[in-house]
Amino acid sequence: MEASQSQASANAALNPHPNPNSNYTNNSNSILSSTPVWPTIDGPLGLSEEESLAYARRFYKFGYALLPFLWAINYFYFWPVLRHSRSFPRLRPYVVSSAIGFSVFSVILSSWALTFAIGGEHLFGSTWDQLVMYNVADRLGLTGWS
Amino acid sequence: MAQNQRPKSLLDSLGEEIIRILTPVSICMLLVVLLVSILNSSSSLYVTSSIATIAYSETGSDSSWDKFIGALLNSLVFVAVVTVATFILVLFFYLKCSKFLKIYMGFSSFVVLGFMGGEIALFLIEEFSVPVDCITFLVLLFNFAVIGVLAVFMSKMPIIVTQGYLVLIGMLVAYWFTLLPEWTTWVLLVAMALYDLAAVLLPVGPLRLLVELAMSRDEDIPALVYEARPVTHHDSASRPVQTRIWRERQNARLDSEDSSSLNSDLNSTVSIVQSSHNGARIARVEEGQVSQRDAELSAPLIDHRMDAQDGMSTESLMLEGMGLGSSGAIKLGLGDFIFYSVLVGRAAMYDFMTVYACYLAIVAGLGITLMLLALYQKALPALPVSIALGVLFYFLTRFLLEVFIVQCSLNLLMF
Repeated sequence: MEASQSQASANAALNPHPNPNSNYTNNSNSILSSTPVWPTIDGPLGLSEEESLAYARRFYKFGYALLPFLWAINYFYFWPVLRHSRSFPRLRPYVVSSAIGFSVFSVILSSWALTFAIGGEHLFGSTWDQLVMYNVADRLGLTGWS
Repeated sequence: MAQNQRPKSLLDSLGEEIIRILTPVSICMLLVVLLVSILNSSSSLYVTSSIATIAYSETGSDSSWDKFIGALLNSLVFVAVVTVATFILVLFFYLKCSKFLKIYMGFSSFVVLGFMGGEIALFLIEEFSVPVDCITFLVLLFNFAVIGVLAVFMSKMPIIVTQGYLVLIGMLVAYWFTLLPEWTTWVLLVAMALYDLAAVLLPVGPLRLLVELAMSRDEDIPALVYEARPVTHHDSASRPVQTRIWRERQNARLDSEDSSSLNSDLNSTVSIVQSSHNGARIARVEEGQVSQRDAELSAPLIDHRMDAQDGMSTESLMLEGMGLGSSGAIKLGLGDFIFYSVLVGRAAMYDFMTVYACYLAIVAGLGITLMLLALYQKALPALPVSIALGVLFYFLTRFLLEVFIVQCSLNLLMF
């Protein structure tokens, strides 16, 4: 069921994008009509769909352990899922929520980092010197060992 | 419509294959040269004590002969430790303690990526006075390390991510090696090249034993290996492309793919003379697809990897050597990346002229090794030829070419 669905969407997807980079979907052969669409960015070298589901779910769940890069990996790795949105209905919610999670996290982190960097001492006062990394490294002697 | 299709020979795709293995080596070397030139602008007065300087600590005032003898002793100690470590790895592999090795390897590479990467990041932050606060830094470093560990041998990741992390690990360890004193570095390089030659080609060599064990059991060798993407042949599109799960061998074995590698844990702060933790990080990035090259490369070729002891209180065993994967993609052990980059990094400490000369020498050596690989179709040590050419060209450039070029430039004759 899913194979034929992916093939139908592959046919629909193949026409506007003839023979893209083999990094993405493997449709180098346009003669055969049943070229499979791969869910991962690696194409035929990547995962199959069932494994992709397991990986996407695992990456999504572990991203909550303060690992937003896993969400970014999720988004990047399964990007064909978003491109051919009809062909992988089970994968799509994980990839979309990973993308949303990563963007939310990056907004939060970058706003904090930029506030810290730009604000500097006149915003934070003396705590800026306590928080900035090179002072912390000096205090803890992290770079003095070599 | 009939098209005459020439059967693709090995030569047609060899150029692409060579490029795909040369690019990451070049990137690793470039990164190490950049790091060395940024961070070592002050003369390296620090003598880092480590396992590689245990026999003799080079000071600036010793005579040349003393330095040479001291460097020789250091290198012998290092090579001895590496040999012992490799034999321990072979023993573990023989006793099938893959789980233990894998966990140890995971822990060690987390420590390497986290601590070594953190150290170098701190050096860069101090150099450029980047106003980053510790919370952001810790979060980013933690993410970086965890993703690195997952990418390198625990889970499937995008190929580019895994390859990138392997190059980064090579760069980090190579940078630490360049902090060794100068004579020790050069003698160590030569010693490791000789060791690699012996360990891979002699029948009693530990790497050869490891390779034969792996072949007889049809398992993967525990090692950190960089595998290039296989070259796709576009005229093979009519053949069904076999799906390959990331990191799965063609005979569909998932167990020992990322199996053990001993990894030395990186203790960056204290206790220089640690007991040898030897770890060979093994990441077998195996990708491939069924292509007509399988007919030519039917025998699974194994990589020889060498365990290289990290001089700085962390000993990481990394296997090096070259081979062809069962899919026909070229594999290069991470130790090769590291020692090439150490050579070029050490050349960068002198001048950029030596960097160019050594880079060309190493690339030429790598090309020769690839030709030999295609010729002999067995695992070969990748260090000896490149290191020999690199060291030769370094000394030739430093002592002969530089004088010539400088005089020509000063007299406005050439260059």
